Amino acid sequence: MKILAVCGMGFGSSLVLRMTIEDVLKAAGLKAQVVVSDIGTARSEQADIIVTSAEFARLLADRGLPIVVIKNYVDRKEMKEKLLPLLKGS
Amino acid sequence: MASSEAPFQLKDLLTPATIRLHVAASDPGQVIREAGQLLLASGAIEERYIEAMQQALQTYGPYMVIVPGVALLHARPGDGVKRPCMSLLTLEPPVRFGNEDNDPVSIAIAFGAVDRQKHLQALTMLTRLLADEQALAAIRASTSAEEVMHTIAASPSTQ
Repeated sequence: MKILAVCGMGFGSSLVLRMTIEDVLKAAGLKAQVVVSDIGTARSEQADIIVTSAEFARLLADRGLPIVVIKNYVDRKEMKEKLLPLLKGS
Repeated sequence: MASSEAPFQLKDLLTPATIRLHVAASDPGQVIREAGQLLLASGAIEERYIEAMQQALQTYGPYMVIVPGVALLHARPGDGVKRPCMSLLTLEPPVRFGNEDNDPVSIAIAFGAVDRQKHLQALTMLTRLLADEQALAAIRASTSAEEVMHTIAASPSTQ
């Protein structure tokens, strides 16, 4: 399982996203590889799930991957509610 | 070890000299100029980094408002960052960036990274701080940079 955390440049928001994702995975006892990416690289980087904001989700929709759209990048509750259902059964 | 690759704590990057409170800015461009000036004055960036942050906001849009009321502003290491750095503004009145979920912005944080590692510890602490709503309320209400530093030091999120 590889989760791609995507932002514009790959030095700020996506690192924040990765921390929130890793916190939620750890609390749920789940393991996954979480990789950060800028929006350009994210178009081709292999992944199972993408986590990003609504603007970048639109640009990545044509990849045909499940995309988790996050409003508050540090909100573990929002992340848990949106991400964990996609990991069940994987 | 992470300690040698990411040696900077939040308090190493965010100092009284890079905090300004109750800044009246008319638009996101002015917020970036004010936050960027603090980094420039600290000697951590070249002047062109401020323009690169403006360009990043134009290119990538208002997603940089990553938490309700909080914008995280930055560009790339190659845009003129000399060393990891961070500045913080509280905005009064709050400024709209065009993010329908998280506007308006009352706390703007600008940073410069030299790679994906050296600022990571500070960014981790910042992530925890931004999830601490009591600490954010205290920062918004602060009347001195020292008060902000104290709030950061006292938040369970940064222990």
